[in-house]
Amino acid sequence: MKRQSSAGQHFIYGLSGLALGFSLSRIGFTNFGQVHGMFVFSHLRLLYTFAGAVGLTMAGFMIFARGQNIPSKPFHPGTIPGSILFGTGWALTGSCPAVAIVQLGEGQLAAAFTLLGILFGVWSYRQAHAQLFHWDRGACE
Amino acid sequence: MMNYWPWWAGSVALAAIAVGFWLLLRRPLGVSGSWSSIVGWREARALARSETPFRVNAAAMGDALLAATLAEFGEQATLQTLTAAGAGTPSPARAISPPTRAPWTVHLTFLVALLAGGFIASTLSGGFALRFDLGPAYIQLFGTGWHSWLLLMLGGTLVGFGTQMAGGCTSGHGLSGCSRLVPASLVATATFFATAVAVSFLAQVLAK
Repeated sequence: MKRQSSAGQHFIYGLSGLALGFSLSRIGFTNFGQVHGMFVFSHLRLLYTFAGAVGLTMAGFMIFARGQNIPSKPFHPGTIPGSILFGTGWALTGSCPAVAIVQLGEGQLAAAFTLLGILFGVWSYRQAHAQLFHWDRGACE
Repeated sequence: MMNYWPWWAGSVALAAIAVGFWLLLRRPLGVSGSWSSIVGWREARALARSETPFRVNAAAMGDALLAATLAEFGEQATLQTLTAAGAGTPSPARAISPPTRAPWTVHLTFLVALLAGGFIASTLSGGFALRFDLGPAYIQLFGTGWHSWLLLMLGGTLVGFGTQMAGGCTSGHGLSGCSRLVPASLVATATFFATAVAVSFLAQVLAK
């Protein structure tokens, strides 16, 4: 683990957030029409972008992070049902966890409702997990 | 229509962010983890405080572990372990050091920066506009008004609950995981993408 000072972490997370928010907006990931078009295969641009990003990230890790031990998420009983719930929500809102915030920044005020839902969903999962599920999610908490 | 980046420029940007984030912080990029830290900020803060003494003084942690082992299993167990290990001096602290966690306020900075990034991008490209709907495609599928907002809240709840349950989202599983061919991430990404495709086609059929 690289030890960063608290201010350093704020700076790097802030810079990453700015870059990610800017990029998602300029890619069109925050446009419901574009995202829906990707899911019904009428606009393939976002699909290419994402596939290209996975490929380039793979190359980037191979070149710049060779031999480094990058933590991997474990498979557990919640992986598939959780993904089904997320996929349904993504189709209904056009939003993954980062996108709703970026949409709000673009002035798409309806995204505030998506955000309220996300907050409630995360909160209720934490309650449910503590009481019902006992698997290791491997999430970076 | 908005003039978005060509597809490859988006790929370059996302990959640079994912790889750069790892190189600078030695943590995989993942947005749903930030949500978890913010919603559970009380627990995150308590956990960070409880770990601080160990971080500051690793030797104290070693002593505490040794004391706990003695209390639990008796002196015999400790002696056996030490003899088996063949080491002259016990040094459990060296092997066990708690992983560094970003304080929850750092995740808050991240989410606020996402908002600012969207604002800057849309302002510079001339796309910034205050509006209460998500655009024509959304209206065509789900209509307008309070029931569409209710649907957004329901969908958002599924996104929040689902990503926590699955242990990641588009960034954590999709980008950071799939790019390293992590099995759980490949399964998760295939599942949430396929589900979104099915639900989108269903919504399109129902809206007609």
